[in-house]
Amino acid sequence: MTGVELVGVRAAHGTRDVLRHIDLTVARGELLVVLGPSGAGKSTLLRVIAGLHPVSSGTIGIAGRDVTRLSPGERDVAMVFQSYALFPHLTVADNIAFGHRVRGVRRKHARPIAAKAAEVAGCAHLLDRFPHQLSGGERQRVALARAVVREPAVFLLDEPLSNLDGELRAQTRVELRALHDRVGATTLHVTHSRSEALTLGDRIAVVRDGELEQVGTPDDIWRRPGTEFVATFVGAMNLLPADGPWRADAHRVGVRREAVSLADDGIPARVDRVEVVGEDTYVHLRVAGAHAVVARVATADRPAADSAVHVRVHDRDLHLFDYDGSRI
Amino acid sequence: MWRRWGAVAVVAVFLPPLVLLVSGSLHRPGLPPPTTPDLLPDPVTAEGYRLAAELGGLTRATLNSLLVCAIAVPSSVLVASMAGFAMARLPRRVAGAVAALSMVALMVPAVALLVPKFAMFRLMGLTDTLAPLVAPALIATSPLFPLVYYLAFRAVPRELYEACAMEDLTPLRTWWRVGMPLVRPVTAGVGALTFVLTWSNFLDPLVFLYDRELFTLPLALRSLATLDAADFPVFLAGAVLATAPALVVFVVAHRDVRQWRGVR
Amino acid sequence: MSAKDRQLALMLTPYLIGLTALVLVPAVASLGMAFTEYDLIGAARWVGLANFAELATSVPFRAALVNSLVFAAIAVPLRVAAAVGLALLLHRRAPAATTASTAATLPTAVPEIAYGLLWLWLFNPLYGPVNQLLRWGGENGRTAFDTTVPSWLTSPNDARAAIVVMSLFTIGEMLVVLLAARRALPREVHELAALEGATGWTLARRVTLPMLAPVIGLLLLRDTILSFQFSFVPALVVTDGGPPPYSTTYLSLYIYRNAFEYLRYGHAAAATLVMLALTAGAVYLQWRTFHRYRSRYR
Repeated sequence: MTGVELVGVRAAHGTRDVLRHIDLTVARGELLVVLGPSGAGKSTLLRVIAGLHPVSSGTIGIAGRDVTRLSPGERDVAMVFQSYALFPHLTVADNIAFGHRVRGVRRKHARPIAAKAAEVAGCAHLLDRFPHQLSGGERQRVALARAVVREPAVFLLDEPLSNLDGELRAQTRVELRALHDRVGATTLHVTHSRSEALTLGDRIAVVRDGELEQVGTPDDIWRRPGTEFVATFVGAMNLLPADGPWRADAHRVGVRREAVSLADDGIPARVDRVEVVGEDTYVHLRVAGAHAVVARVATADRPAADSAVHVRVHDRDLHLFDYDGSRI
Repeated sequence: MWRRWGAVAVVAVFLPPLVLLVSGSLHRPGLPPPTTPDLLPDPVTAEGYRLAAELGGLTRATLNSLLVCAIAVPSSVLVASMAGFAMARLPRRVAGAVAALSMVALMVPAVALLVPKFAMFRLMGLTDTLAPLVAPALIATSPLFPLVYYLAFRAVPRELYEACAMEDLTPLRTWWRVGMPLVRPVTAGVGALTFVLTWSNFLDPLVFLYDRELFTLPLALRSLATLDAADFPVFLAGAVLATAPALVVFVVAHRDVRQWRGVR
Repeated sequence: MSAKDRQLALMLTPYLIGLTALVLVPAVASLGMAFTEYDLIGAARWVGLANFAELATSVPFRAALVNSLVFAAIAVPLRVAAAVGLALLLHRRAPAATTASTAATLPTAVPEIAYGLLWLWLFNPLYGPVNQLLRWGGENGRTAFDTTVPSWLTSPNDARAAIVVMSLFTIGEMLVVLLAARRALPREVHELAALEGATGWTLARRVTLPMLAPVIGLLLLRDTILSFQFSFVPALVVTDGGPPPYSTTYLSLYIYRNAFEYLRYGHAAAATLVMLALTAGAVYLQWRTFHRYRSRYR
């Protein structure tokens, strides 16, 4: 059973194509993170699913139903906006109950429903406040509660964590995952943060220039990046010509920083610079006289700058890429 | 789709009075009442305009109006922009007090101040001169305009002013060399609205002027109101003459202001 | 005070002088004049509360006061409702909407006196296009529904209606403010409402109008105060305060006539004070509303 199914979806802003040809299937109950740099079309993808942006062609299915021609209100989706979009003139309770009130539920019946959703999202103590009396984190919970209360077929979260700062963000990330596991609804979560994507998603869809680069589990994306773009966007990677220190039948060879180990024998290299980042240290090397490579090592084991070392990389840690940037 | 038809309906309601104004002014004065509405006069004649200019002394009045505008509009814009700039650069507390005072002043109906203002100008011996008509320039014609400038100058990034301070520019020179060029669209809008208000000012000349030689255009038009209804093309012609400059300036300013999206 | 601040204060001075000389001093002066009898020729004579006592029993003043309040009660809600309706209709940036909003603001830019002359003709029972239009399709000078046409300038209620109708076309200023306020509402809020299935009237009632409420409230109060103002020229030029005795004599016209036609400045100042008191009441209300809502709408 599918939660969301996009087939050949295209969308444009004026004359500019924002989504070029998207085929994507999200299983029911799955949490899919849509990851990509800004301007890649992530938000448009969500807005197209919600019905807030028209498709130029293609079809959209939600819970097995073709919704391409339906209005946003008929699609049974809930959205959490980056700005949260809370109604400033309504209390938290009325904000959460808004959808029910619009559909004709009386205030006194809507209130307990809202209270229950607030409980789930962890903002039950805020029911009688106005949005301007809330902190950023509290607003975010209310926005979540407003989505939860609808019991929609799909949750659409547009960078819901980007307006929170460091500590709170990490904590909310954990709560968001816990909430998803409790509610169990199909969720699309848009973000430009790789750590958010890697920790949060059942699967990750990497978007670039309006096209899907790769869809896979975090483990897949990390260990078997489908393209050079995915490899470098999801985590730093050394990219070297295939006739460099690690020869292969390819255009380029990629090596993750932590896959480069310093050893007594192997390929000779020179330490250019040593950059200590807490427990880890980035060692900037010049391998085989010409190639710049960065290795990540434990700070305790770091070499001295300007010293001569040898480097080693296990064969299974080499990623081979073709001329068009795709994985071989 | 329904919005498009709504827009058409709005035009159909709001435009006819102005169309009728122009069409009416082109009729021949002194004819018996028409039996059916006639939008296109037959024959089209400028007779009304000739008679209006003659009976109302509109040439002289137009010159007086232009003189008042030539003095009042630039001074008014200067007062508004300097006040707005000073408010944006002085401590918030001061700016807040001046803004509050301006809001109160905005609320006072002009009619309510007519009697004491008349007594005041009378004491100074300034009634029956053009001075009371220029005087509103001191409150920037409307206290709204200093507030508009205040918001515009406050929207200018602080760093620009600080850069000027580093160059040791005085506030006056900062205002003239940096502030004013940055808010040029605001000046265009405020200038245009000031012109429309000054040009249309009827209340002040009505009270302060008795000498026909000093009458401004709106006041001169009033004497046309006593004409017989059959002479409607005459007073409508006068109305068109008074309306045209205000409308032209207003439309141009409306377009400019609409295109302006704040200081970037 | 630094040299910089001194120069800034200097730049503010002309405006402050203007506010003092042209607003504050006259407002206070009318307070003083209200207790005198004064024709600007002889010396002012202190008469205590006599002017107010006379106002209390004056038939024309009471008529003017009632006329002004009734006019405000009818014209202001209609004007604001019309402006809100137009703003909701025309807020999108489409060519048709832009043309329409320009057309709707144009009459506001017509000089008051020219506007008055225009309507003097439009409402003329014999020559006026309004009644010609109403007679269209009817016979013997009656409407198509066989009712008599209004006699705009000679029947009291028709004349009052005429002044209200005139005021409905000059809502450009409010429209500009409301269009800006409508366009400033965050897009996400309306998108979210759309996801909840709110459309059309529900959307307007539950989301748009409540969010515009502070602006609409301010405009209502401001327009109430201005209604003292914009009934003046029509009453002076179009209906001449009549039909007799005082059908369209508003406070503004009453003050003007007493001061500048009957030269009873003290009496006019007392009436002015009543108007100022009404204004102050409205300002106070506005200030309170503003403060109550301001924090909520950040």
